[in-house]
Amino acid sequence: MQHEPTSPPMISVRGMSKLFGEFVALDRIDFDVSRGEKIVVLGPSGSGKSTLIRTLNRIEPHDSGTLTIDGKLINDKTDPIQLRCMVGMVFQNYNLFPHLSVLDNCILAPMRVRRMSRIEATTLARRYLNQVGIPDQADKYPIQLSGGQQQRVAIARALCMQPEVMLFDEPTAALDPEAIVGVVSIMDELSEQGITTVCVTHEMAFSRRIADRIIFMDQGKIVEITPPEIFFTSPKSDRAQNFLNQMLRY
Amino acid sequence: MTSFFFRLPLMQRFRPVAALAGVLFATAGLHGLAHAEQPPSFVHDGTLTICTNPTLPPMTFVKGQDVSHPEGYDIDVAQALANRWNARLSVVTMDFTGLFPSLSAQRCGLVMSGIIRMPSREKSFDAVTYQDTALVVVGRKGTPSLTSMDELSGKNVAVESGTSYITRLGVVNDALVAAGKPPMIIQQYPTEEQVVQQVLIGRVFAFVSQDVELFYRMRQLKDKLHVLITPDIPDYRHFAIYLRQNPQDLTALQSAVTALETDGNLQALRTKWSVTDPSTGNEAPSTTSSAMFDWAAFFSALTSTAFLHGALITLSVALISHFIAITLSVPIAIVLNSPQRSVLKIVLEGYVSLFRAAPTLLQLLFIWNAVPQFFPIFREQWFTPFLATILALSINESAYQVEINRAALSAVDPGQELGASALGLSRRDIYWRVIFPQAFRIALPPTINEFINLLKITSLASVISLQELLAVTQIQVARTFAFTEYYAAALVYYLVMVFFFLFLQKRVERRFAWSDRKKVVSNAA
Ligand SMILES: Nc1ncnc2c1ncn2[C@@H]1O[C@H](COP(=O)(O)OP(=O)(O)OP(=O)(O)O)[C@@H](O)[C@H]1O
Ligand SMILES: [Mg+2]
Repeated sequence: MQHEPTSPPMISVRGMSKLFGEFVALDRIDFDVSRGEKIVVLGPSGSGKSTLIRTLNRIEPHDSGTLTIDGKLINDKTDPIQLRCMVGMVFQNYNLFPHLSVLDNCILAPMRVRRMSRIEATTLARRYLNQVGIPDQADKYPIQLSGGQQQRVAIARALCMQPEVMLFDEPTAALDPEAIVGVVSIMDELSEQGITTVCVTHEMAFSRRIADRIIFMDQGKIVEITPPEIFFTSPKSDRAQNFLNQMLRY
Repeated sequence: MTSFFFRLPLMQRFRPVAALAGVLFATAGLHGLAHAEQPPSFVHDGTLTICTNPTLPPMTFVKGQDVSHPEGYDIDVAQALANRWNARLSVVTMDFTGLFPSLSAQRCGLVMSGIIRMPSREKSFDAVTYQDTALVVVGRKGTPSLTSMDELSGKNVAVESGTSYITRLGVVNDALVAAGKPPMIIQQYPTEEQVVQQVLIGRVFAFVSQDVELFYRMRQLKDKLHVLITPDIPDYRHFAIYLRQNPQDLTALQSAVTALETDGNLQALRTKWSVTDPSTGNEAPSTTSSAMFDWAAFFSALTSTAFLHGALITLSVALISHFIAITLSVPIAIVLNSPQRSVLKIVLEGYVSLFRAAPTLLQLLFIWNAVPQFFPIFREQWFTPFLATILALSINESAYQVEINRAALSAVDPGQELGASALGLSRRDIYWRVIFPQAFRIALPPTINEFINLLKITSLASVISLQELLAVTQIQVARTFAFTEYYAAALVYYLVMVFFFLFLQKRVERRFAWSDRKKVVSNAA
């Protein structure tokens, strides 16, 4: 991916830490993400991947350091609603609203937060449902859908807020290989549209396929940030090498 | 005098609420004015309020369908007193056990309810005799008469609870035990007609009552009853009007009663209600009571305005109380479910535990009878039994509802809140659009259960004189003695109300198809 070196980073993190009581979940994190870039966060369980991306939309507020998104400093004075309009998130277990139809899941936030009319919101929602490949499920309830379909609804729902950054927490965890291919193509489209993505995953092939750069974490620290072709062939750190060996063994 | 004429229309305008009491207007004619005296202090704002339990014919009872307008000898005497003092008469009806607490709480100026003059009661209240009577022990026709109270040894005897007969029978029992004989077995019932019914159905050997009332029952029940013995107990020879202790008021009432006696007023009323004569009939509705179910009586009860009105009160008390309870309980549940500890949380926890633990009946009695002693505003006219019941039941029910709501709210996946806030929804929208709709489905069945419970619990409010369905039934039974038919009619009303809400629950639950995969699929197919 070509990025104009002059364009300011979409996400900029400097010395960011997050504590749960005494426990240091994130330890002085530094990284930048360019506009439209696709970042994959890898690392062993408990290393702080989910915590990291949750700090990016302030679902978990960070304790020290700075976080800048699109040039704006994010702290406790930031309007959380504005921030979340800009940064969308898809959860591992989707968190769809079971009492609302697929369409209503998608139009709730645009109507209530962005103050769109029902017709506008519906048009938008149908466009994104179409983009994620489930145009004909709009009137069903989440419980009637397969896991892969629910995942796509969750993506469409987040996209309906027209965010500039999308955060994914293990989007492929519950999916079969065919469905994973679907998610890959959705992510490609997002980046074509200039949307920045940060994605936590355990899926090696998936990360290699989509990532522009890989952030490898361990024990709340970033161990290395490398392009996938280097990370998967010759990682700089021993910790990453061990991690890869273990992953490849299974 | 001029001030009286000036004040009356004003008062009528500001006192439109007569829900609790039949307000009988004093006919302030020339006769009344001629006798006008300085009214005693228990006459407030030109109104004499009396408390009565209208289940004791011919002293105080409900003759027609309108339970808020008791009639009888006591009511007429009260009217005559009101006339003397140029006052309007207001009659508050309630359970017998509520009479004296209400007098203490200044809900009424006088208790006039065919109550015996007893030294023990005069420790707390003043009393003025207005009618002679005698204690009688009554059994079924055909039971041989007794020569002494001792012959009741070991037998079942029914009395009205809250009355002084219980203490008196205790004295007899003590004597029996002292003499080595088994005591009487005393059964207490809340209303007089239930006491009589125990003898009629043969559950007890005898009941204890006053001759005055017995004359009336004898006519009503034709020849089913029979006086077994009239023991010579001096304590039980007079009916009295009770008032709060106050020497001036006592003198005023005493002289008013004496005046009514001298001018022949009381004698005329005695004749009117045949208080002293067992033979002459005073339109006592005689019952055709037989073992058969009287369908006509059942249908007339079912379609009577009294029952309809009682049912409406029951329904509206339950609906309003539950609405308030739910409104209170949702924010309380949210605070209690939050992880932080706070003073507010501790206070609310105390509130919930207290009102879950205290019996509902006690809460009703407390609000009606105890609270006014500390906050006089609660003995004013606007604080009707209807409001008092709603207050008590709302508080009580909110405590239960908090527990239902807490369970329902914590049953909603925390990921829902996370997902909603990641979409930028406001706190308000997160609750109203995402969490409440899901919690509502979980809370609905237990909430409907609570409502049905509440609908039935309203019957407790008869102790504070709320004329709800069961109170109306009791009063109507006292009038007609048609136990089976009136109970059945009340049952029909309760069943119809409950089934309606169960039906409503089913209808609402159908809209929760989203929670059940099988249902959605079959609906879609
Ligand atoms: N709310 C919390 N309170 C206390 N500790 C927490 C909380 N959330 C996360 N942690 C801890 O922070 C650490 C990092 O958690 P996190 O969920 O970010 O890990 P992860 O890298 O996403 O792991 P996984 O791959 O298993 O999802 C873990 O040790 C976890 O126990
Ligand atoms: Mg995680």
